[in-house]
Amino acid sequence: MPARAGLWNILTEPLIRQNPVTLQILGICSALAVTTSVATALTMSAALTAVLVMSAAVISLIRRHIPDTIRLIVQIVIVASLVIVIDQILQAYLFEISQRLSVFVSLITTNCLVLGRTESFSRHNPPVRSMVDGLGNGLGYSLVLTLIGSLRELFGAGTLLGWQVLPTVDQGGWFTPLNLMLLAPSAFFLLGGLVWAIRTIMPEQTESLEFLPPDDPEDTK
Amino acid sequence: MRRGLWDREMVALLLLLAMMPMVLAWLGFEGTDALGRLIFTLMISGFWHLTFMLARAQPPSFAGVLTGVAVAMLAPQDLSILQLIIGISFGSVMAELVFGGWGRNVLNPATVTLAFLGFGFPTSPWHDFAVPIAWAAIPALAIGAFFGVMSARLILGALAVAVVAVLSGLAVGAVLPMSGIVLALLVTDPVASATTPLGRWLNGALYGALIVLFAVGWQGAAAAQIAVSAALLSSLAAPLLDEIAIALWTARRRRRHG
Repeated sequence: MPARAGLWNILTEPLIRQNPVTLQILGICSALAVTTSVATALTMSAALTAVLVMSAAVISLIRRHIPDTIRLIVQIVIVASLVIVIDQILQAYLFEISQRLSVFVSLITTNCLVLGRTESFSRHNPPVRSMVDGLGNGLGYSLVLTLIGSLRELFGAGTLLGWQVLPTVDQGGWFTPLNLMLLAPSAFFLLGGLVWAIRTIMPEQTESLEFLPPDDPEDTK
Repeated sequence: MRRGLWDREMVALLLLLAMMPMVLAWLGFEGTDALGRLIFTLMISGFWHLTFMLARAQPPSFAGVLTGVAVAMLAPQDLSILQLIIGISFGSVMAELVFGGWGRNVLNPATVTLAFLGFGFPTSPWHDFAVPIAWAAIPALAIGAFFGVMSARLILGALAVAVVAVLSGLAVGAVLPMSGIVLALLVTDPVASATTPLGRWLNGALYGALIVLFAVGWQGAAAAQIAVSAALLSSLAAPLLDEIAIALWTARRRRRHG
């Protein structure tokens, strides 16, 4: 292992440079599903970050006692228990939003982001570092979700967190809501555009080409 | 011109030539309104081609004109200028230019634009054409097939399904004119349609079958909506149809030659 990175680095690295959603393309299934409004996106982000930090702590604490052969089962059991707790809390205090999030909070159990971090980081690092890593990844995920959620709500309904920002035609304003933004495909477009933008600014994230195009299109033969 | 006359721009220009009967009939029937719309869509499409030429050194193509024509003809009415700009920008950048320009795209940019506008603004009514414009689609398809830039197999496949549907008494008469126009404008695009002989038959037949399915089963859909949706789905399926054709071919070869 190279020189150990500082805590600050572990926290900030996953925000953009190693962002779990836009670089590693992990956890996009929930990112597509819950971003129709900012409120659901924020709730989902908070739930996932909480699960990520707590599971990192627990798994890191018992990392020397987990038998390698059944480590995935142990990790999933821990993550699932935490998810059930979070789900119950949401149903108790934020019932309406938990209805809108429907099955996606429970599906955090199978989120590849959570399992990816516990498997690749918490199993090899002490609790504090693992928790900071979980927090950083959770925040990176939240950043993307909030951004896409804001765009979709703003252009799909003209609102942000329920506040009318752009007056729609129905209410006598000028803005025609872009209904497509509330459908799943738009999340793909936005996520793709976001990845494109980030990789334009940070070319080192770009994957190497699978083949080289000819310089001159007439030279293909 | 090391490889002769048949480069990409030649194909684009011939496609444009094939569209001419339809475009002229359309301009003749709908007059200055239509002309204004056409010039506007051409400007946006051209702007993106120029942008990508300057930013990525991608050679601009006359295919941008094809996109402009198809969108101007088929886009829903009552769209504001901003909505049209968003739609064409999305279609031509996301469906064509980011892939490296015309010839490397998967879907026809005009199909994507129209699907985007149709699903994004479902309240604006779809366009409908005077019947003679649909007749003009026949010479358009004939010219395209004669020069080989449109696939005759694809056209015949679609036609065969349409004939079967009409003979068996299904209620498809209302959507046939629009289906012909969309067939000439979007479905026969040589880049976004199937490329194997069998795949082309299947592609045309699939387009026809989808039209029949939507005409019979999709309540309250406009003719243009039905045709554009069928065009989108059949061009999404085109690579699969090619794959099927190639798999059948290899299976046949393996049986024959061991």
